[in-house]
Amino acid sequence: MKGLVLIMLLAPLAGAALNALAGSRLGRNGVRASACAAVLIALAAAAGALILSHGRIQDFTLWSWIKVGSFQAAMDVHYDSLAGLMAMMVTFVGSVIHLYSASFMREDQGLVRYYVYLNLFTFFMLVVTLADNLAFLYLGWEGMGFCSYALIGFWYGDNEKASAGRKAFLYTRIGDIAFGVVLALCFVWFDDLTITGINAQAAGLSHGAALALGLLLFWAAAGKSAQLPLSVWLPDAMAGPSPVSALIHAATMVTAGVYLLMRLFPVLQASPEVMWLLAAVGALTALWAALAALAQRDIKRVLAYSTLSQVGYMFLAVGASDIVAGMFHLLSHAFFKSLLFLAAGCVIQALDEEHDIFRMGGLQRKMPQVGMLFFIGALCLSAFPLLGGFFSKDRILLAAFLEPGLSYKLFWAAGFLAALLTPLYTFRAYFVAFGPRKAGSEVKPSRGTPRFMTAVLWPLALLALMDGLLNLPMGPGKHWLARFFSNVPGARIELPASGGMELAMALVSAVGVLAALGLAVWLYRGRAAESAEKGWRQALAQALYLDRLQLSLLVRPYRAVSNFLWREVDDGGLDLGFTTLAQGLGIVSRGWAAWSGGRLTVYLFSVLLALAAVVVLLTFAWFA
Amino acid sequence: MVPLEHVLVLASLLFLVGAACVVARRNLLMIIIGVEVMLNAAGLALVGGSLYWRNLDGQALVVFILAVAAAEVSVGLALVVLAHRRRRSLNPDDFKMLGGSR
Amino acid sequence: MFPMPLLSLLILLPLAGGASLAFCARRMAACRVVALAVSLLELILAVSLLMLPQTQAAGGGHWLLWEDHAWLPALGMRYTLGLDGVSLLLVLLTALLQVICVLISWERITERPGLYYFLLLLMQTGVNGLFLAQDLFLFYLFWELQIVPMFFLVGIWGHERRVQASLKLVLFTFGSSLLLLVGILGLYAAHGAQSGQYTFSLASMLAAPPSAPVQFWVMAAFLVGFAVKVPLVPLHTWLPEAHTQAPTAGSVLLAGVLLKTGAYAVFRVALPLLPLAAGGATTLIMVLALVGIFYAAWVARAQEDLKRLVAYSSIAHLGVVMLGLGIWNLLSVSGAVLQMLNHGLSTSALFILAGMLQDRLGTRRLVEMGGLWKQMPVLSAFFLFFAMASLGLPGLNNFVGELLVLVGAYQAHSLAAAAGFIGLAWGVMYVLRMVQATLFGPDREREGLRDVSAREALVLGGLAILVLFIGLHPGPVLDLIEGPVAAAVGDGARLALATP
Repeated sequence: MKGLVLIMLLAPLAGAALNALAGSRLGRNGVRASACAAVLIALAAAAGALILSHGRIQDFTLWSWIKVGSFQAAMDVHYDSLAGLMAMMVTFVGSVIHLYSASFMREDQGLVRYYVYLNLFTFFMLVVTLADNLAFLYLGWEGMGFCSYALIGFWYGDNEKASAGRKAFLYTRIGDIAFGVVLALCFVWFDDLTITGINAQAAGLSHGAALALGLLLFWAAAGKSAQLPLSVWLPDAMAGPSPVSALIHAATMVTAGVYLLMRLFPVLQASPEVMWLLAAVGALTALWAALAALAQRDIKRVLAYSTLSQVGYMFLAVGASDIVAGMFHLLSHAFFKSLLFLAAGCVIQALDEEHDIFRMGGLQRKMPQVGMLFFIGALCLSAFPLLGGFFSKDRILLAAFLEPGLSYKLFWAAGFLAALLTPLYTFRAYFVAFGPRKAGSEVKPSRGTPRFMTAVLWPLALLALMDGLLNLPMGPGKHWLARFFSNVPGARIELPASGGMELAMALVSAVGVLAALGLAVWLYRGRAAESAEKGWRQALAQALYLDRLQLSLLVRPYRAVSNFLWREVDDGGLDLGFTTLAQGLGIVSRGWAAWSGGRLTVYLFSVLLALAAVVVLLTFAWFA
Repeated sequence: MVPLEHVLVLASLLFLVGAACVVARRNLLMIIIGVEVMLNAAGLALVGGSLYWRNLDGQALVVFILAVAAAEVSVGLALVVLAHRRRRSLNPDDFKMLGGSR
Repeated sequence: MFPMPLLSLLILLPLAGGASLAFCARRMAACRVVALAVSLLELILAVSLLMLPQTQAAGGGHWLLWEDHAWLPALGMRYTLGLDGVSLLLVLLTALLQVICVLISWERITERPGLYYFLLLLMQTGVNGLFLAQDLFLFYLFWELQIVPMFFLVGIWGHERRVQASLKLVLFTFGSSLLLLVGILGLYAAHGAQSGQYTFSLASMLAAPPSAPVQFWVMAAFLVGFAVKVPLVPLHTWLPEAHTQAPTAGSVLLAGVLLKTGAYAVFRVALPLLPLAAGGATTLIMVLALVGIFYAAWVARAQEDLKRLVAYSSIAHLGVVMLGLGIWNLLSVSGAVLQMLNHGLSTSALFILAGMLQDRLGTRRLVEMGGLWKQMPVLSAFFLFFAMASLGLPGLNNFVGELLVLVGAYQAHSLAAAAGFIGLAWGVMYVLRMVQATLFGPDREREGLRDVSAREALVLGGLAILVLFIGLHPGPVLDLIEGPVAAAVGDGARLALATP
């Protein structure tokens, strides 16, 4: 078992190391083969571990990393159902994306660099998935941040793209400050940095302590998962290659924040205020992002805001004390969102880096497979009844609705509204990009799409469609996922709702989705242009100006203070002070030097003066 | 008998005159003259002391001083002549080649 | 105990080697080979000292080696040298950086090579002596000695404003060490008056600290002296200029070693000797260190000169070290000492890379760089690697030290720790700016840019391996220093002494 986990972790790392050191000698095929093989091996190991674990929890230590006194940051692994399933998802989606990239990046100069970072990222994500010790988790956490930075700014020749990577790193680092404090707090309060240990002691936390820990964990997770107010980096992160967006900014890194919250759920549960905050932020982000997605022109930005929205749902799930729902949605989202991103990648490449949906059109006919795949993804994202996204989103909304208190009903309402908007913006993108247009105004793809690229996506599509089977609310095999998660602290199998209420909510959602779908068809089918002058559309496109606000409130003042501190304080104040002191001493020195300028008369005068002084002193000494 | 105080006062006045001559005049020769005067003033004080304590040691010392003064004057004047030949000036302020970076 | 006076050998070997350079002073090829040989020999000697058992000698000391001879008994000065885990670590760092400095100066120093390598070796003598000295006057002697070669190195082989930079360096350091001397003499006098025995020996002073008012003044004097060296804001303004104008090897030694002498002195001399004044001193150090972390990082972001940016980053990193020392508990001091090593490795690498860029591009200005990854991928990869190390990315060395310092800080003073964590975010701003301005951006298609040579790759690769090794397996280093650190922190003021 330990061996399988080690293989799972080390295979991608070895792949990265191999390509980093010898990539140029392996040739393009060698690099692609070794990188994909590494992830596939990890997938096999993850599957094996899942099967062999038989639902039991496994804890073991891989490496004693840092140890001083009673402070111990060892590389511990905590393998329970949550970790096992997450690892499966990461390696599976990772494999698909590695394979897809072999085709997508076939002509790129930086192929070796790409695969090194991609493999490295997979390693770090698996570390986060499996880690027990918080410091070890932090290793994976920050490592992912670095790989994300490198991959977003992958096409570094463009300063804007490089800046997007920088922005991502910065915002996640701001979140990571809180993680660091959590580490310190856990050591000081619990003398134990392991998740298992912390969860065990969570029940005994005082109110204030739980609140502090919870808030810090929220902040750290919000940074990584791009929830409000740390959201603005994700839309800009679309500057990276599409497979990167699929892997990092749909399936894995942005869900790492949610995953952390789920791992440490007992701590969060100890503080109702934190739970409320999580639900509030999740609901708010879900709604805000859905609104913003409605006005985006760049197909990847639509998907980015959609990701923000869906991760918001996951936060809402955690805030509503239902981590099964959160994980369920995480899995569904991973499948359909990466599918959407990868399909979008096919389109973007075929149209020679065109991102604007209004400059696309009629692609369903030109690229039928891609169009179909996108359509499947869009259906799942919209929570079309009986498909994957439907059951997971539905359970989240139900959980939110069932929580006591008026505010949770409001969160439910926000979530429901966002659920209505989702089909709207998704099918807006679909119809405008793929839907039929007036003849003559359609776009022709200038490059063909390799068959391999689309072939790889079908398994993903299948999983997206069938994903609902994981946790059906009724029928044979119902709540399979929930029961699978029975060894995860805090997981609830069933929600305390009557069968009638569940059915009612499901029906309401289904009707809403279908209605929104109909609205989307009516509004956007055949639409070839959108006027951008409307004020509300501008505001939505800029996501209610959050980015600009943070730019002027935070970034510009920071730079201004930076310059000020350098020129005025350091060079001007401190340094000038010392220089003036030195110059003053110089002046005094030159003044004194005049005394010994080699002039005889001065010397003679000084001698006689000294003599007189001596005589006077002697006189006083004689008579005193 | 001359009171010692009178001798000492005269000697000190002479000394001060000599010192003033050294300091206040911008002329190398006047410096030498001033030094001579100071030496003689000291000699005068020694003679007075010898008289007061009825001891010939003081007067013996005066003879020494006269000899030293003579030697010093001869060497000093020779130097002044050479210096004047170099610089065409007897102003001590002109001879500051050994002075600082001014 | 040992037939050979190993510690004196550690100090005198570079000097002797440097003196032998007189025979080949003008020939660059011969000089550098001799210098390399001497540095390698010194490194081997230092590494072999690692094999010494960590003896818990009688009295509970952690001394690995001890040498004691009379020097000027009438004045109470003895030639006493002692080696424990902490000093061994710093001696090793110095030896390693010395080899690296010789290697990176290989092609670059063509005028007066003999003098140059002699000065490098002389600096090693001074610094080793400082790390080993157990007699305050001997300590002061070596403290003064280390500046002299640096003055000449910066003044002769530096860049455009080298004369001003070296003058500034000397004025600041000698000015402050004057206060240090006053403090040492004051301590000597007070100790003598109190115990009747006038001695400069560190050990005896540890055993009998003077009265409170004396401690206060002496601590003030010491702190000014050491704070300029570290440097602690606001006495830091000599550093950016000196670092920027120094030749690459000079910058490496300055950042890697000389700055550590200040922190080491606080650890070894200032805090243990003056326990009553230590409380106020640690608070002051802690505050200044935190200010330094933020201030230096903030100013670094605005820099236009690459080396100056790295210089300010040094100040920020040393701020973390001093924060650890200011907290003065097991975790944070261990972290601080580890950071001394870490900073010596990662920042030296950045200076080496900056020097390489200056040689190739003819400029240090960031606006004239950019898009370097295309033409120099290996150099850029190293640059990114060490920038991430400097940032404190987990898995690399700085993270371990910073984590230990901050967690230890939280044990004692949670607000300071929280501020420290926030300060880490400040670091991201300037590092990412540095990376983007140099490596990313459109390719400017410069002529004739060579990627790293084999020798440069050896140096950078070696440093990278060390950075990675310490990041993932800091155990050996932490074990080496645990004894002395625990003793220093646990006893408060007493550092148990044992003469083998």
